[in-house]
Amino acid sequence: MNNLIIEELFVNYEDLEVLKGVNLNIKEGEFVAILGKSGCGKTTLINAIAGFLNYEGKITKPKRIGVVFQNYAVFPWLKVKENISFGLEDKNKVKEDVIKHYLNMIDLKDKSNAYPFELSGGQIQRVALARTLATNPELILMDEPYGALDIYTREKMQKWLLDIWTKERKTILFATHSIEEAIFLADRVLIIGNHKIEKEFKINFKRPRNEDIKFSNEFLELKKRISKFLADTL
Amino acid sequence: MLQFNKTLKKFYFLLPLAVIIIAWQLISGFNLVNSSLFPPPSRIFLAFIELLKNGELYLDIKSSLGRVFIGLFIGSFIGVIFGLLTGRINIINKSLSPLFNILRSFPPVAIIPIIIVWLGIGESAKLFSIAFATFFPVWINTHVGASRIPIVYTNASSILTKSSIKKWFSVILPASLPYIITGIRISIGVAFVMVFVSELAGASSGIGYLISISQLSYRMDRMFVGLFLLGFFGFITDYIFTRLTKYIFPWLEKI
Repeated sequence: MNNLIIEELFVNYEDLEVLKGVNLNIKEGEFVAILGKSGCGKTTLINAIAGFLNYEGKITKPKRIGVVFQNYAVFPWLKVKENISFGLEDKNKVKEDVIKHYLNMIDLKDKSNAYPFELSGGQIQRVALARTLATNPELILMDEPYGALDIYTREKMQKWLLDIWTKERKTILFATHSIEEAIFLADRVLIIGNHKIEKEFKINFKRPRNEDIKFSNEFLELKKRISKFLADTL
Repeated sequence: MLQFNKTLKKFYFLLPLAVIIIAWQLISGFNLVNSSLFPPPSRIFLAFIELLKNGELYLDIKSSLGRVFIGLFIGSFIGVIFGLLTGRINIINKSLSPLFNILRSFPPVAIIPIIIVWLGIGESAKLFSIAFATFFPVWINTHVGASRIPIVYTNASSILTKSSIKKWFSVILPASLPYIITGIRISIGVAFVMVFVSELAGASSGIGYLISISQLSYRMDRMFVGLFLLGFFGFITDYIFTRLTKYIFPWLEKI
């Protein structure tokens, strides 16, 4: 079973308590968004799951995990194809096929020999996701991956991510501070605040989703409710 | 016209140089200063031609540049290795960095007499002196670069690969490269100082040796030839190194 199960997770930075008793269960193939203000502990939760920091509590997670980082963490010294293949071990035909497959998927076939500085912000984030997907992870942790993008690119990337997710059906935990982004992408939105998960909102919009749902009354109503909850309780 | 102006701008740096040479030629040529102590550029140029013709200069240049490059390579290579280790591994940092910082505060020129006692006046003493002096700028810069690698890169590498070799060679080394290159550029200048001083202390060829024997015979023109050659090759080495690194690592200025 490839569920992510977190039980009584505590994380401290020296004397500062960042997470206090977080419990979470994410099923295989589920897309869950965690929402909260800056500094509420979203990144800390992702870093704890990824194993980047020490914690108390229990995390049961799939073996293969991929992370897409907040600031484009593609390696600037590697070309696009080298970034994508970084997590692959062998220099064989399979590796070449994987590179080709993901270059096609992210629509950057003609940029395989380009360096990240030659790409736009959106293209870089596509490379970052392709690099993660190439390792065939069972769980993908995404830490505000579109935070630095302009609104148009961001919306395009959200749509693109949903397309990929529909095809690959990976389990995704997606941290964001955008309510709209969280509702549009996820099956569930978890509100993190006061060092723990405060509330869960189920998102019942049918899939595949398109941009139009953002203008529906149901969407706007849900957005209002989440926004009010954030303002009142956190 | 615009293209011509652009090309012209590239040569602006020659203007002050030309003014200095012309003023110097006039001041010295008209004996406003003692021209045997302060020979005019024309006489220095003639001395340069004379040295080229008798073939000694080739050997001197070859000897000095050979020492500079070998010494610089050894010093930089060891500097990069230790810089990466002290920059990334806390226990190595705590044990070695204080020692390197003490050694770094020694004036490198002052160790030459000691090295001569230990190793004599042969090639090994000169190479050791240059390698010793060039080690520290490369070490300290690499150390700073390696210790300041954005955590997002090391986290990304640790989630993507379990291979330590890959992490060191494909992430830590390239991420430290901008600092390593700065260290090597500083060391290029240091290497030219050290080759001169080590050749003064005892050599049978080299630009430092040329300056040293020219001093004994009061050939000020030849001394200036040696001085300008050191400056010229120092500048050219730095220039080629900078251009080469930009060519090989086009991403360097973008991180």
